[in-house]
Amino acid sequence: MRALQGLRGPRAPALPLFLLCFLAAVRRSLEDGLSTAAPFTSLPVQEEITTKYSNLSSESHNISVTAAPYTSLPVQEEMMTKYSNLSLESHNISMTEQSNMPVEKNITLERPSNVELTCQFTTSGDLNSVNVTWKKGDKLLEDNYLVNATGSILYTQYRVAVIGSKQMGSYSCFFGEKKQHRGTFNLKVPEINGKNKPLITYVGDSVVLMCKCQDCLPLNWTWYGVNGSVQVPIGVPVNDKYVISGKHANETRLKITQLSEDDQGTYWCHAIFELGESEGHVELVVLSYLVPLKAFCAIVAEVVLLVTAILLFEMYTQKKKKPSGDGKEFEQGEQMKLDDSNGIENSGPRHRKNESVGQ
Amino acid sequence: MAYRAEPPDGGWGWMVVLSAFFQSALVFGVLRSFGVFFVEFVAAFEEPAARVSWIASIGIAVQQFGSPVGSALSTKFGPRPVVMTGGILAALGMLLASFATSLTHLYLSIGLLSGSGWALTFTPTLACLSRYFSRRRSLATGLALTGVGLSSFAFAPLFQWLLNHYAWRGALLLVSALSLHLVACGALLRPLSLAEDPVVGGPGAQITSLLRHGPFLRYTVALTLINTGYFIPYVHLVAHLRDLGWDPLPAAFLLSVAAISDLVGRVASGWLGDAVPGPVARLLMLWTTLTGVILALYPVAEAPTGLVALTVAYGFTSGALTPVAFSVLPELVGTGKIYCGLGLVQMVESIGGLLGAPLSGYLRDVTGNYTASFVVAGTFLLAGSGVLITLPHFFCFSAPTSRPQDHVTEALDTKVPLPEEGLGED
Repeated sequence: MRALQGLRGPRAPALPLFLLCFLAAVRRSLEDGLSTAAPFTSLPVQEEITTKYSNLSSESHNISVTAAPYTSLPVQEEMMTKYSNLSLESHNISMTEQSNMPVEKNITLERPSNVELTCQFTTSGDLNSVNVTWKKGDKLLEDNYLVNATGSILYTQYRVAVIGSKQMGSYSCFFGEKKQHRGTFNLKVPEINGKNKPLITYVGDSVVLMCKCQDCLPLNWTWYGVNGSVQVPIGVPVNDKYVISGKHANETRLKITQLSEDDQGTYWCHAIFELGESEGHVELVVLSYLVPLKAFCAIVAEVVLLVTAILLFEMYTQKKKKPSGDGKEFEQGEQMKLDDSNGIENSGPRHRKNESVGQ
Repeated sequence: MAYRAEPPDGGWGWMVVLSAFFQSALVFGVLRSFGVFFVEFVAAFEEPAARVSWIASIGIAVQQFGSPVGSALSTKFGPRPVVMTGGILAALGMLLASFATSLTHLYLSIGLLSGSGWALTFTPTLACLSRYFSRRRSLATGLALTGVGLSSFAFAPLFQWLLNHYAWRGALLLVSALSLHLVACGALLRPLSLAEDPVVGGPGAQITSLLRHGPFLRYTVALTLINTGYFIPYVHLVAHLRDLGWDPLPAAFLLSVAAISDLVGRVASGWLGDAVPGPVARLLMLWTTLTGVILALYPVAEAPTGLVALTVAYGFTSGALTPVAFSVLPELVGTGKIYCGLGLVQMVESIGGLLGAPLSGYLRDVTGNYTASFVVAGTFLLAGSGVLITLPHFFCFSAPTSRPQDHVTEALDTKVPLPEEGLGED
């Protein structure tokens, strides 16, 4: 624990300097809003939170609270009560000494909540000598995390109150002097599903573009069309051509009437959450009627040709058959029974047979 | 005009087989693959799937109930003009459907118009085929009916491709052009004048004489019973498998396997029907009984291997009974009355087909699983095969198949009035 305490706080010997540093730290953490669930809480408050939200599935392990010597509990308790009505989300990543691959976990957050990120590290060596750091993006995080060791597993937990888009992003825990073992939590807003296949419509038709969010309820939806490479909002001057509606809160529909070829392109739908924005896209293709019509006319022409050929062929064989007279019919019936291979009615003179037909 | 005493049994008949093959592909293959369009219609018109599936139901109903009309017209004018008109109607229906703005529009254009076009094509073609063959009738029918199975395989991916490239409007336009090939198929149906044609009279007379013909009526009853049970597994097999815990993909694959064994069954049965002497009705009874037994065994089979074996066997036997079912009719009523006969049979048996699937669904809703519906389907089939026993010459092992001359004399005996104008062109 000695190494950890060394990381934790300044080693300034003098008390006034101590207080100054503390005040600076508190103000900075107040600005960032990173003050809930600080490791310096007293046990009763912590128990209150865990019992209040005990119905949530929690993967967090018991971590011993190490109280650092330089906080005043009342300030932190104020932070705690301010955000204690938010739900608690716990997420866990485990790493071993052998794996050098960075481990990532994606976390989808829709509403402001308290987030508890835990990294556990298994090593056979000395746990006390392992360096632990937390980073948000590229920025080093100084406080708000706990470290604990149980048996051969080292736990570190970071708590943050996510109340706005500033707290979203990637949080990484690092183990080791050279930060060689890394686990990353990606905090993201929910994804929006547009449509992967392009929607095909025709000129003069009307179409409904839909964007849907699986299990979330955005605050608001907006639609954008693309002009060149610039996204232009749609439906801002409300007119007949574009109608935005939605049956449920988790979906939005854009109905476009009187389609023309200019309406072709990609349409973006933006879902606005408290914690940020998410977007999906739908591609629209507008064809003119001539496209299938050409294929249609080609096939119709082919059918007409076929019919004419068949009828002409029949007239031709009839003409060749005609001079021989009626008696031929029965003979040709006999010939048919011999199963001609070419399957065409025989024409031309045949040997007359003196059998009577019909027995 | 010269009349043949016997059907040619080959020659141009094989072109008629080809024509019938393409026609069954273009009529039933399109109908069976139409499910691909349904998804698009549901999205485009924002209607529930049940309402959209009425399009196919109306089409099938019109095709079957309109069969007598097609048959009567063919008797009067010959098959060729009737089938060509039917092809134009079917294509026109699809063409108008591509401009549809509502579901009712589709009911009228695809259901009514294309359906009546199909009614004018399918039955006359099969009847014409029966007139061209006597010794090889079953084989020819079996070969022609393989068009249905093969086209289902080909059309479903084709329709999906069309939908991906042209959306449903353009795809319907191109399916309309495809259906226009029915006209070309109709052109292949050269009229055939058989000896008994002048004797059996015009369509009205034929229908009246048929309705008084005991064996014909019994046969119609038998086919209706068979039809009631026949379609149930096709409709409910996948759902039954899902109930037993199968995944959708293996279940659909099993259905494809059944379709392949169906194809094999059709051709094999066609060949067998011609090779075995004696009335073909006996073979029909054999296949129907087997199918009924297999259906009744379905609820008992739980293991996957048992279900696969049963499904393959069902596919084979149910495919086997189709060409034979069409071959029995000319033996009963003669090739002169075949058009009207086939039309009437199709119309009446369609009642069975329409009732079968909803009845099965109702039984499933009441009992909770498909056991009752499969057993009922099997019972219908067995009942149908039981009625088949009452057909004439059933137990004669040495009696030859009825010859056209018998029908000529029979018709003369019943004093059917002679027609005033000739039948068809020569």
